[in-house]
Amino acid sequence: MTRIKAIIFLLIFILPVLAMATVKLPQPEKITLPNGLTVYFLKNPELPLVSFRILIPGAGSAFEPRDLDGLASLTATLLLKGTKTMSAEEIAEALDFMGARLFISDAEEYASVYGECLSEHLPRLFRIAADCLISPAFSEDEYKKELTRKIDGLKAIKDNPGQALRQYFRKAYFGEHPFSHLSAGTDSSLQKMSLAEIKKFYSIRYRPDTSILAVVGDVDKDRLLEILNSSLGNWPRPATPPPTATVPPLPSPKGKKLILVDKPDATQTYFALGAAGFPLGDKISPKANLMNTLWGGRFTSWLNTELRIKRGLTYGAGSNFQSWKTGGLFMATSYTKNDKIGEMLDITFELLKKARTQGFSPEEVESARNYILGQFPQTLETNSSKAYAYLRIVYYGLGFDYFDRHLNEISTAKAEELKATAVRLLPDKDFVLVAVGKAEEVRKLLSKYGQFQEKKITDPDF
Amino acid sequence: MAKKSLLLICGLIFMTAMLQGTFKKEDIKVHQLENGLKIIFYEDHKIPNISYYTFFRVGSRHERPGLTGVSHFIEHMMFNGTQKFGPGEFDRLMEFYGGSNNAYTSEDLTAYTDWFPPHALEKMMEMEADRMQGLIFDPEVFESERGVVASERRMGVENNNEAILHENVRATAIMAHPYHWDVIGWMSDILSWRREEVMQYYRTYYAPNNAVLVVVGDFDSQKTLELIKKYYSIIPAQSPPPPVSTTEPPQMGRKEVVIKKEAQTPSFIVVYHAPRCQDPDFFALSILEKPLLRGESSRLYRRLVRDEQLAISVFGGIEERIDPYLFTIEIKPRPGVDLDKIEKILDEELDKIIEKGLTEQEYQKALNIIRSDFYFSLQTSSGKANLLGMAELLFGSYENLFTIVDRYSAVKREEIPGIAKKYFTQLNKTVGKLIPQGGN
Repeated sequence: MTRIKAIIFLLIFILPVLAMATVKLPQPEKITLPNGLTVYFLKNPELPLVSFRILIPGAGSAFEPRDLDGLASLTATLLLKGTKTMSAEEIAEALDFMGARLFISDAEEYASVYGECLSEHLPRLFRIAADCLISPAFSEDEYKKELTRKIDGLKAIKDNPGQALRQYFRKAYFGEHPFSHLSAGTDSSLQKMSLAEIKKFYSIRYRPDTSILAVVGDVDKDRLLEILNSSLGNWPRPATPPPTATVPPLPSPKGKKLILVDKPDATQTYFALGAAGFPLGDKISPKANLMNTLWGGRFTSWLNTELRIKRGLTYGAGSNFQSWKTGGLFMATSYTKNDKIGEMLDITFELLKKARTQGFSPEEVESARNYILGQFPQTLETNSSKAYAYLRIVYYGLGFDYFDRHLNEISTAKAEELKATAVRLLPDKDFVLVAVGKAEEVRKLLSKYGQFQEKKITDPDF
Repeated sequence: MAKKSLLLICGLIFMTAMLQGTFKKEDIKVHQLENGLKIIFYEDHKIPNISYYTFFRVGSRHERPGLTGVSHFIEHMMFNGTQKFGPGEFDRLMEFYGGSNNAYTSEDLTAYTDWFPPHALEKMMEMEADRMQGLIFDPEVFESERGVVASERRMGVENNNEAILHENVRATAIMAHPYHWDVIGWMSDILSWRREEVMQYYRTYYAPNNAVLVVVGDFDSQKTLELIKKYYSIIPAQSPPPPVSTTEPPQMGRKEVVIKKEAQTPSFIVVYHAPRCQDPDFFALSILEKPLLRGESSRLYRRLVRDEQLAISVFGGIEERIDPYLFTIEIKPRPGVDLDKIEKILDEELDKIIEKGLTEQEYQKALNIIRSDFYFSLQTSSGKANLLGMAELLFGSYENLFTIVDRYSAVKREEIPGIAKKYFTQLNKTVGKLIPQGGN
């Protein structure tokens, strides 16, 4: 062990000088189409492939009408299920025939389109994507099919404790805030769902002048413009001003909120612990990234070391920060045999306390820094990951030098700053804790944390 | 956290005559040390990162009753200490140097996949070479890791209806061959592996003569080879492991396995015995699977999900295995539907292919999917490293990555009905049903 320490000591002084070679996100070219659609483009001829992504602000689940969870998701799904000129079958056949990928999905703040194909198929893929976005059929028949699939999907979610946990947690944590809307829907929201509401949501929220497109791959700019002019360039800009696309500030838990979901056949109990995070681009972000890497963000993190590596209580334990425009979320999760959940939570809370009271050593900070810098290049390796980075940078107003600044701050952060970050961000008394397991076996073990509100997994909704 | 998991190996697709771009056979360098370790290099300086993949020719295929799951367990123990680096040091040092890793075990092989910045190369190599020979299997750590694997089984199989049904179907369809059990192993074996037996297994299979090293990314081949010689050539070769000689006897009639379990939705799986991946029929069945069940335009998706609305999803196909394995059709039925009706429809759709084959459009679609999948997987250094390793271990040589295309294009559309008829018979079929029981 002393040898190892000597190595680590040497490294701390030498590595910074080695200056980790890293990658820069290439600056894309910006083009604005006459209909207001903003395009970011980067040519990459390495393989005969092109990826594109479209971000449609305000078309995410946070903007669904109250009690209509799943509406943004159904809207996105139905866009690919038929247009004025192509049936759902024809769209599926055309995409599969090219071996292409085209998906439309909803996040909280926006909807997004993801397309990827061989370069030779790009004109056709863009024509189909444009047709789906501009002239969706929203047929009653397809709507019924998708709604039924969604209702059945809810049952499958409840058979899977990990998936079920995520739904219960979102409802518990966000409460009345629109981020509590579940893409999967709920039993009652799907009962109230209507095609008219979906059409209305689409007509107000899908529009080119607020949307952002990123294209990366093996295509020339002139050729791309030609393709766009005959596809997404035809997406009409509405005469009306864009609807509001701002989300209220995210909630911060006050006191403890404890929920136990009874799943009588579960042999393991799954838990999620959540507390307030920070908005994307907040200046605490690099330090939070380092702090979380050490606490629960990688294999040798404190949490995984104590729960998995040392005690063998679980296959995996981790934590992360998620950030949006108006706030963020810290979340720690793991699972273990029903009879071990008390021990697992004790350790988790001890580690939270330890980070706030003792902080992290300079050696640990150095390790986290090397880890983040060393892993970063892979996160921008593919066309699609670059396109995704462009969209997020533009949507959140981060600037194309965002990663350079972020990594630079990571390089210079000090151990004492990480302790301060832990004090600010890791929960002490204010948090939401949700557990899914066999209540009969875990009720007593959990009771030391306070009074849990109990739910049955078979009860409707989450 | 998806780490050291039983990843299903993604479809390895060979489509190489059409290879465009910069990934060429001539740029690949190969070397073999005297102790038998084979090394495959591909330099790619696009990003400052190296994918360093070590493949061992060991998986659940090499196990026996009592030791089921041991290949996967050793995958876990590979992170738990040698004479030189104590338990957990591998991960701690690797992350300190800016690296990350994963590992997976399949029926046929075990892979250790490292990704790190170039300056970490020598340290990673030192640690990888070290754990190829020096694992200590500390008794306390051994017990703790046993608990982790038991937890992985509880999560991955016992709390997952599809997985538990799949395990039952596999064990029903495959009677004699070691593919009979799942890679994770039976729980009673997990709870009773003995340290001495596990160490013996490690010594036999984790030898340089049973390993292939694939390095892709930002490094210099010549310098790296010198380092490899320095760290690996001192590891002694072992006697070659015994061959896997059990052959699965032909199935003699339709089998069915029914599981009754608390659940809200049923599950349904049908499997047929299928050829090994080096068999010419493998390529025909791999083409056939695409119009049959891949994507929303596939025959089964249209019929079961869209038209008759009996199912939520459909997936499956043939998997690359050294020995004959299974062609799987996995249906997620809607709650309350008649599973016999689904089975009847599967039979009808397979019979249509046996009678009339695929349309020209479907055949071309399959080839297009194969080609685009191939390029998608070449986008990253790790994708290239994985393809090279799989070609070497499963298809006999990394070179097949660049030449096997002929085997795909050699499949003629007219041959497909005959090949389908050979495999999709009632005698060759096993059906699995998970039927929800009350208690809800």
